Amino acid sequence: MKRPVYIADSGLLCARGETKAAVAAALWRGESGTGKRHLGEREFPYFALPLTEEDWLQRAEQAIDQVACQLEAIVPATPLFIASSSFQIGHFEQQGAPFDLPLATASLSRKIAEWMGLSGPRYSFSNACISGFSAIDAATTLIAAGQIDEAVVLGFELDNDTTLAGFASMELLSRTSCRPFDLRRDGLVLGEAVAAVRLSAKPGRWKITGLRTGLDGYSTTGPDPNGGPIANTAIASLKAANVGPAEIDLVKLQAAGSPGTDLAEANALHKIFGTEIPPLLSLKPALGHTLGASGIAELAALLACLDAGIIPATAGFAEADSELGLMPITHRNHDPVRRAMLNLIGFGGGLATMIVERT
Amino acid sequence: MVYLHTALNQQFPPADLPGAVRAVLGKPLRRAAGLTQLALLGAFACLPEERRHLPTALLWQSTSGPRLETITLLEEICTSAAEPMPYDFLATQPAIAAAQIQPMLPGLHSAMHIPLDSEKVANWSLLLNLAIEWLNEERYAQVLCAQLDLWPDSASGHWLCVGAEPLENSLASLQIATEPSQEAQADTPDVPARLADWLNHGKTASLSLHSPAAPRLAVEFTRL
Repeated sequence: MKRPVYIADSGLLCARGETKAAVAAALWRGESGTGKRHLGEREFPYFALPLTEEDWLQRAEQAIDQVACQLEAIVPATPLFIASSSFQIGHFEQQGAPFDLPLATASLSRKIAEWMGLSGPRYSFSNACISGFSAIDAATTLIAAGQIDEAVVLGFELDNDTTLAGFASMELLSRTSCRPFDLRRDGLVLGEAVAAVRLSAKPGRWKITGLRTGLDGYSTTGPDPNGGPIANTAIASLKAANVGPAEIDLVKLQAAGSPGTDLAEANALHKIFGTEIPPLLSLKPALGHTLGASGIAELAALLACLDAGIIPATAGFAEADSELGLMPITHRNHDPVRRAMLNLIGFGGGLATMIVERT
Repeated sequence: MVYLHTALNQQFPPADLPGAVRAVLGKPLRRAAGLTQLALLGAFACLPEERRHLPTALLWQSTSGPRLETITLLEEICTSAAEPMPYDFLATQPAIAAAQIQPMLPGLHSAMHIPLDSEKVANWSLLLNLAIEWLNEERYAQVLCAQLDLWPDSASGHWLCVGAEPLENSLASLQIATEPSQEAQADTPDVPARLADWLNHGKTASLSLHSPAAPRLAVEFTRL
């Protein structure tokens, strides 16, 4: 049995707002302001959640509550799929040395389920930046096969020094701003987000028609600049969706403003679409790179925009890079979108592409 | 139909992992964390050379995750003002294990890491259900399902390799079970060991596995 899988509902909390509608409105207005995070003597722009709570665990609970209450009533037995890169490492930092980590690495997932009032099966996914689509892939597979009927897929990434310091140590962070596909792009800007989608076998407004993950072993910190593995993953997703490149109306890019990864993605887009490149959009200049939550946060934000009949401009882009030969949307518009492609390119070699279609 | 090609269990003293990798590859695996080394050792043990180019997915779960490396990194970050060494951060990122072993397993197309949230409980039923579905829809020719754990005094890898085609030495067939058996095996990390025991010493024609938390994801193994 293969059933279509629909996105029935979603919730979002990120730097741009406390609901998906608020986020869509902020994106339409072109908001992209950031706060700052200090690391030693260095300062980095950072997209923090609009929460004042300082205790890490209480802040996490508050963030989960705000997203859960945006979803329509969920049956408690609904399976929960949780995606995160860092889980509760910020909590361990706050507790301080000596570090007494729980034996089960994703123990926070038990608490998240409790906070959401869910008592069904729980599954956790940690595949760096593609974690969200890995979780959606697993949930979609089980729904399509008739083994479950609904699933809540939650992306979760909260503030911590470890991730910031780790990325900073590899000189992957911008000191200024996120400028996807721009000539002067100089790195990514991290952020926080919590987002959820409820997937269902029952018809909803959007259908997931193709989702494939891939792997790029070129380097542990960046993709093959040629873009071949990224293109292969996207083409496999198009094939799964049974559509051609010409039927894609909009691409939500990975495009985090990283010099190497943006180049690889642009080369992949040339391979996939040839000379007929659809409109390209990056949400990271407004939301930040929210790592393990990014797949679900950007999906929720994008669908909120499309449901409102709007396509925001890509903030942060000013000057085209001739080496990329592509530029994102710079003028917001109301163009109709029936089918969108969403790309994720993960730190550590993970790749994922999803195709969603309006029903 | 989906076939079980391999069920194996590996145990190493953590200090022996680099040597075991060197023995398999003929050279060290540079800058590879313990979980990456475990992944390579298990994948090589499951897949003979002639099958390493076939489209493959790796689905691996872990209770420990990179726990020791995470503690090291936390100590580095929280007790000194300096930024960490890049390798110390990379070692805490389990997702990179697949990318690091892909050059030796060119058929490795995709990987999924599933950290576990409770001790002594595993998600084999999820891994095998995904594997069965993806093999049936011809995404991959074979799927490696694993539980990898690295503790201060032990490193372990439990592996099941399943494929879409029977091999000469396939051990069993497997399918999704709609009605879990009353005598179903619980979903715990040592499922491959119990499966091997059933294959070697069991009297029944089939064995089923199900997680009490997710009874609809039951899997039934049948002797060939």
